[in-house]
Amino acid sequence: MTVRTCDVAIVGGGIAGTAAAAYLTANGLSVVLLERQEVFSDLVRGEWLAPWGVAEAQRLGVDDAIAVGGGWEIREWTQWDEVVAPGDAVTVDMTSFVPGAGGPRGIPHHLVCDAIAEQAEESGAEIVMGARDCEVDAGEEPIVRYRKDDEAVEVRARIVLGATGTNCRVGRQVGLPMNTSVDHWGAGLRVEGLTDWPMDVQAMGTEGERNFMVFPQGDGMARLYLNYPTSHRHQYRGDGAAERFLADFELEALPGHGRSVYAAARPIGPLKEWPAITYRPQHGIVTDGVVLIGDEAGTSDTVLGVGLSCALRDVRIVSDVLLSEREWTPEAFLPYREERAFRMERLVFGASVIAKLQCEFGPEATARRRRVRALMDENPAAQVLGLLNMVPPEEVPEFGFSEFFVERLFRETV
Amino acid sequence: MTTTQSLLTDSVHVNGVDIAYVDKGEGDPVVLLHGFPDSHYLWRNQIDPLVEAGYRVVVPDQRGFGESSKPQDIEAYDMRTLVNDIVGLTQQLGIGRAHLVGHDWGAAIAWMYAFLMPRRVDHLAVFSVGHPGVFATPSIEQRKASWYMLFYQFPGVSEELLRRNGWRLFKEIIGADGDHRRYLRELAKPGALTAALNWYRANRSPEAELRTERNFPPVLAPTLGVWSTGDQALLEEGMTGSQKFVKGPWRYERVEDAGHWIPLDRPELTTDLLRGFLGSQSSAAAPSRRRRL
Repeated sequence: MTVRTCDVAIVGGGIAGTAAAAYLTANGLSVVLLERQEVFSDLVRGEWLAPWGVAEAQRLGVDDAIAVGGGWEIREWTQWDEVVAPGDAVTVDMTSFVPGAGGPRGIPHHLVCDAIAEQAEESGAEIVMGARDCEVDAGEEPIVRYRKDDEAVEVRARIVLGATGTNCRVGRQVGLPMNTSVDHWGAGLRVEGLTDWPMDVQAMGTEGERNFMVFPQGDGMARLYLNYPTSHRHQYRGDGAAERFLADFELEALPGHGRSVYAAARPIGPLKEWPAITYRPQHGIVTDGVVLIGDEAGTSDTVLGVGLSCALRDVRIVSDVLLSEREWTPEAFLPYREERAFRMERLVFGASVIAKLQCEFGPEATARRRRVRALMDENPAAQVLGLLNMVPPEEVPEFGFSEFFVERLFRETV
Repeated sequence: MTTTQSLLTDSVHVNGVDIAYVDKGEGDPVVLLHGFPDSHYLWRNQIDPLVEAGYRVVVPDQRGFGESSKPQDIEAYDMRTLVNDIVGLTQQLGIGRAHLVGHDWGAAIAWMYAFLMPRRVDHLAVFSVGHPGVFATPSIEQRKASWYMLFYQFPGVSEELLRRNGWRLFKEIIGADGDHRRYLRELAKPGALTAALNWYRANRSPEAELRTERNFPPVLAPTLGVWSTGDQALLEEGMTGSQKFVKGPWRYERVEDAGHWIPLDRPELTTDLLRGFLGSQSSAAAPSRRRRL
């Protein structure tokens, strides 16, 4: 068995893991990053980085790598929806919410991970692709064991960052489990050929029993998502699933009934379905020698689209503790635990409102969305929770996070 | 992870910089020169076929690009300095007379090399960019098509604008052409963008554009000019108008179904054009060195 030592062992080479490896090595720590895949491939993950997440990427110095990997600035959101005629849909300019960051980015997740990992490697990180059977032992001297090409390897690190996303693998191994709840299901497919879809414009709206999302990635490419009720789960499995998925972008809400999507899109990756799960930590995200970051530390409903931004925020806050504190005890990470608890409280609250608005289906839900939209048109302050995917959660006005506000928004009580 | 895409075989210190290059095959030497924002890798599809056709193929990363040195000052990218890099490289490799092939800025270097040092040039093949004498007096249409060249002039400002919002403007200028993904990967490296833009700053300054046409010595070598109908930045007149600067045999090829990056968009055609042209004709007589009294 091979034994190696380092300051920081990172389990999981997603956006959080690779960004942490790049930032920590650039600041002088030794890093070993373990990734299960042999090569990064499209696993159908979140591919939308909010403007506030872009600002986090800039602070970590990985914004160029994101652009190199294919990150594309989306500038406008035209709010097509079944409750508005396509020509009347309001367009929001997303480029000015966070100074210096520009609009959100549509990113090909696996290509961006590859580019950030390459940057980390150039800064001196050891990137292990194809690391299998990772096992983490927490403790003051934590250990990660894995297998690579049938060789058993043991990594002795000063600290382990668990960044396995919604696999929650490290958390389960070290006694930091999650509570889960499923609100709806979703599916995603990366496509090319959208020559008639404006690459500056994203769509996110609801029609019938589906919530549709089009996030451009430049050059006629885009990530398409559909969200739908749990009762329709598995509708995009088996033969002809991609064809059915694309055909479901024939929507009255879109200009030309969505022809520029459903008739033009050619898949360039797999189609996958997943339950939209909210993960909330049962009793913490830090233990002796182990800190969870990114989706592994807890999520809000995917419909809000802030998973990647949160991951980068986690990396910055945890890294700053690692770079400023001499002792990496659980107490040293108190600022991270507190900030994340506050952040997730707001994001989970906001995401549940957005999910209720956009991912509940049927005539009553449509009527409610129509009412809420009218209220928002009348009083822009009612859109306050929509700010959550533009500016950092702490900058969203407090009043949006009260039950009273939400009740008024949905007019469930008079 | 993606391994760096490189076919480089060696590196040499000439003219004050390190020049990395490919040197492959045996036979009459052919020097392939890339342009902006490429590297030797532009010619990846031509190198082996030319080696198999019996040539010694030499392909540098020109200064400011790829693995070669990237001086940050504009003066380091004066045309004569750039040409001297290639002179120095060929001298180091013991090459006296070579076929010269250039694309984009590489074509501009090849043109200048050919009229300044006629004895060192066997055949000249230029892609996309015509003789500097034509470009010295650009038409309104050409100025419109190459607006970005003026934009690239402002040190610091153009870097900032090209990089901001995830390199959005750069992506819009390059589009999906050439090796667009690789370009960004290369230019995002420290110092790479400024070095690359300095090619324009040193040689396409607003003052230079106002200067009247200079007298250029004639190109004596047999010359093949190639232009593609899909070129967004350079007009056909730049290439066809170059004929008057060529005293040797002139051949013009207009390529359909290709954007600016002809060697990438039509790799086999490019190779075939080169194989059919190089070594096929003889130069015009060199002017007598004796001065008439």
